[in-house]
Amino acid sequence: MRNLFALFVIGVMALFFSPEANAQCNAELYVTKSMKSLSQGYQFSKSYRIDGRNGTRKKIEYTCVFAKDTSYQITLTGKDGGAKGLIGTLYDSRREKIVSSYYNNKFMSSWTYKCTATGIYYLSFTFKDSKSYCGAAVLGFKR
Amino acid sequence: MMRNVYLGIFTAAATIFGSVKALANVPNSGEAKPVKENTGKPYQQDVLPVEEVLQSIPSPLEISVLIKEVGTVYNKADLNDPNSVSRYNTAFQKALNLGIYGTDLGYANIYGKNQDAISYLNSVKKLADGLGIGAFFEYNEIKQLAESSGKLDELIRKTTYNFEKINEHLRERKREDISILCLTGGWIEAVYLTTLVNQRVENDVLKEKIGDQKIVLEQLLLVLDIYKSKPGFGDLIRDLTYLQEIYDQIEVERIYGKPSMKEVDGVLVVVSGEKTIVKVTEADVQKITVLLKSIRDKIVK
Repeated sequence: MRNLFALFVIGVMALFFSPEANAQCNAELYVTKSMKSLSQGYQFSKSYRIDGRNGTRKKIEYTCVFAKDTSYQITLTGKDGGAKGLIGTLYDSRREKIVSSYYNNKFMSSWTYKCTATGIYYLSFTFKDSKSYCGAAVLGFKR
Repeated sequence: MMRNVYLGIFTAAATIFGSVKALANVPNSGEAKPVKENTGKPYQQDVLPVEEVLQSIPSPLEISVLIKEVGTVYNKADLNDPNSVSRYNTAFQKALNLGIYGTDLGYANIYGKNQDAISYLNSVKKLADGLGIGAFFEYNEIKQLAESSGKLDELIRKTTYNFEKINEHLRERKREDISILCLTGGWIEAVYLTTLVNQRVENDVLKEKIGDQKIVLEQLLLVLDIYKSKPGFGDLIRDLTYLQEIYDQIEVERIYGKPSMKEVDGVLVVVSGEKTIVKVTEADVQKITVLLKSIRDKIVK
């Protein structure tokens, strides 16, 4: 019985002290925060979980189809507080950079993009001077 | 004896520790596509492109908002009958119609038709239950929002997010076939509604919207093809391939240009410098309208 108890305690400790377990990213929480930051008039469209897995993932990228005559807004929230440490960048189909939330050495928490060309775009998320490598972004749209 | 006990404890701890470490490294199929840093070499992805494609499909809500914006009056008869839900018996039928009802639910929501929204909500719940994903559908919360007046934005947001979570769950459970059927059903219904409205009152914006769906159809067919050996997929792929043949006649010209950017109240505002010209003729739209109706009729019958 004592052995079983010892086994259980060690098991729990292994789970608790594992660096990977500690570094878990609950991106869901930041989705909710980002959603609330969408500007008036923007409808929620999609959410993006940004889990840098404790710094082992340098870049997290999504593909999206944006439509002509639609404004899109991205709002970012990270675990380091606000958009700190988190960069959201939009590229066109030729992978040319359109906009980055790291602007004038500042982490901007949102950008809007007035799309005039329907097509495939790439949305990438990277970290800069981050301690947590965790966050989320939300995409909203407005006609 | 004592040595064996210590050895047992050590082995168990090592196993648990190892499991946690291993679990932390398992790629989560519902998450983003991780990409290695650009080092000048080609990108190396460690998940299937199917993830990428599923994520890229735009929300049908974008089309529904456009339909309302052009001044169209809500017409319940355009939507699938919520009572038809009992006809859908196979997982294939259920998943496609879950997408169709999902779009109808969003459409009713946008027009603030709360009573209809509740009927669609019930149909969605039944199909979700039938597919074993009912537990992930926040029925009560959404129903309460639909019943309260003045919470339209919250209702739309909650419903959209809930569908996203269902799709994410399906992908995590390696049920991407169901997920792609939901997305395909949702897309078919959204474009079908656009063609219906355009038939009544011809509108250049709607016509262009129908034409530029070429890009989305291409994406959908890419993923559907992976499951072509599964029951029902063959017919659907064949039908949508006929549709793609019509879309092949439509040219989408893209003119590149530099974007302009400024900071407004702490928000970066970027205006695209690009342009797309969708060269869609009246004949193309007519062919799409007829074929899409027959595809949709097969699904909802």
